[in-house]
Amino acid sequence: MRILDWIVLVTSLVSIIAYGLYRSRGSNTVDRYLLAGKSMPWYAMALSIMATQASAITFISTTGQAYVDGMRFVQFYFGLPLAMVVIAAFVVPVFHHAKVYTAYEYLEQRFDAKTRALGSLIFLAQRGLSAGLTIYAPALVLSVIMGWPEQTTTICVGATVVTYTMLGGIKAVTWSDVQQMGIILAGLVISLITVIVLLPKQVSFGDAVYLAGAAGRLNAVTTNFDWNDRFNIWSGLFGGTFLFLSYFGCDQSQVQRYLTGKSIAQSRLSLLFNAVAKIPMQFFILFIGAMVFVFYLFIQPPVLFQQAEVARIARSGEFPALNEQYQRAYEQRRQAALALVEAHHSGDPAAEQRQTAAYRAAQKDIDRTRTATAKLVESTGGEKGFTDTNYIFLSFVTRYLPAGIVGLVIAVILAATMSASSGEINSLATVSVIDIYQRYVKRDGNDHHYLWASRAATLFWGAYAVFFAGYARRLGSLIVAVNKVGSLFYGSLLGCFVLAFAFPRVRGTATFTGMLAGEAAILWTAQYTEISWLWYNGIGCAVVMATALAITAFEDGVASARPGRPRRGQRQPA
Amino acid sequence: MHPSDVPDDPPPFLGTWRRVYIGVLLYLVILIAGFYLFTLAYR
Repeated sequence: MRILDWIVLVTSLVSIIAYGLYRSRGSNTVDRYLLAGKSMPWYAMALSIMATQASAITFISTTGQAYVDGMRFVQFYFGLPLAMVVIAAFVVPVFHHAKVYTAYEYLEQRFDAKTRALGSLIFLAQRGLSAGLTIYAPALVLSVIMGWPEQTTTICVGATVVTYTMLGGIKAVTWSDVQQMGIILAGLVISLITVIVLLPKQVSFGDAVYLAGAAGRLNAVTTNFDWNDRFNIWSGLFGGTFLFLSYFGCDQSQVQRYLTGKSIAQSRLSLLFNAVAKIPMQFFILFIGAMVFVFYLFIQPPVLFQQAEVARIARSGEFPALNEQYQRAYEQRRQAALALVEAHHSGDPAAEQRQTAAYRAAQKDIDRTRTATAKLVESTGGEKGFTDTNYIFLSFVTRYLPAGIVGLVIAVILAATMSASSGEINSLATVSVIDIYQRYVKRDGNDHHYLWASRAATLFWGAYAVFFAGYARRLGSLIVAVNKVGSLFYGSLLGCFVLAFAFPRVRGTATFTGMLAGEAAILWTAQYTEISWLWYNGIGCAVVMATALAITAFEDGVASARPGRPRRGQRQPA
Repeated sequence: MHPSDVPDDPPPFLGTWRRVYIGVLLYLVILIAGFYLFTLAYR
């Protein structure tokens, strides 16, 4: 990093945090600290929700995903607008009218205390793990750029986030998110422009898109159905809808955002804005990854983007042969790419077809060599399931972006992380205090007491997230890991809330039992089948509902069999 | 310590929330169709 990068980085971060804290003045009651006194306009909530999702993981992992697997990851978001419409229409009014701080508080109003406690505990377990992943992402950035140990940077970033969250509450988090989205969008546009400008002179933007497509990197929609395939249009529409229904309908880190709205309409608008803007934004980020792929067709990339691992395996006897094979494969692909561009310009379909086949064969050679090198990392003591997806974009940024832009991109990554983490930690603290501490430990505290309890809980969850971040490197692609961890827990919560909203006859014990059965079904599916994690939410939700409805039907049958006892919901004769 | 009640207003455009939801769903259909054509064009 050069001086100009440091100036841009420090100025951006300080201004974001200072602005957020400035706007959070007066957050001195529990209502203001946790729900911003229900004063937020729709655009602030909308940008905050977007910024929370557009964490550092979005930048460093999604771009890498496009580099290695193409753009089909965008299909994962196809369920988002469907989920947003359902939540805006049915869930938002219920939560607002229930006058709750947390989604799980509503479960006690609708069912009973044990269902609320189980819902809260599932959320705390899941979101606590995700918070660790969120904090780990910038530590990865700093370890690549500055050579700092990941653990040290995780602790530094975590401490900053906790301090900021403790001081500001949700209002600070939301207003800083608004500023961050501006920087994030600017960073995205500048990154894309820079990639295109850095392409060789003989390759136009149109050629770059053509080459990315020929290598299968622009596969935005894939229609083949496969239970084991993570990203296709069907898993996106069905699995994705369940995941986003769970995320925005049952996850306190999102529910708390739209509960800060001035009105139901403002909360709805914030969600619908995301329904419209999220998919194009993800498409744009993936497209940057595809263009980075094209850039590296003409500038030789390292065999693996994780330089520390390359340096380690360089001592292995197998590495020189692999490296030589990689050099040859790269040169063949570069020649094939140039020949394909030429054939494309010539307008000769036969030549184009021939060169396309050669280009794809060369790409397969590269992929094979990279896979073999990754396996060498594993076999020589590296992590199991090693992947360098998370290092691809960072490697490009630090090596090729000009002074100032590197600082801006790092600022975007760090700021987005702080925002996402602070939102998560804030919601974890809220559930801990409202659903656990106030409900079971101290019921008669005053407002000041719960305000400080919220701050203490923020500190605890920050420390917990930092601890878990130490294990994040073993989870492969970060963006996939975050959603996979969520999918292990969300299905049960979703089933519980669907029963709460749509099945008035179902009661607490049936729902509670259904949630336990649903969680068991998800864990069994994850452990013993090859079914993609995108389907876990649907499976868990279905098991929860089937179990609870079966128990309810059984209870009703028993009740109606007893002479003189009316069925549940049936009126006693006057 | 519960927050106060919140009003339920109509949307600022399209008149009813139902129309807004239909608009969002139509937008999704158009978006997926556009991406599909994009995929076909560069396959």
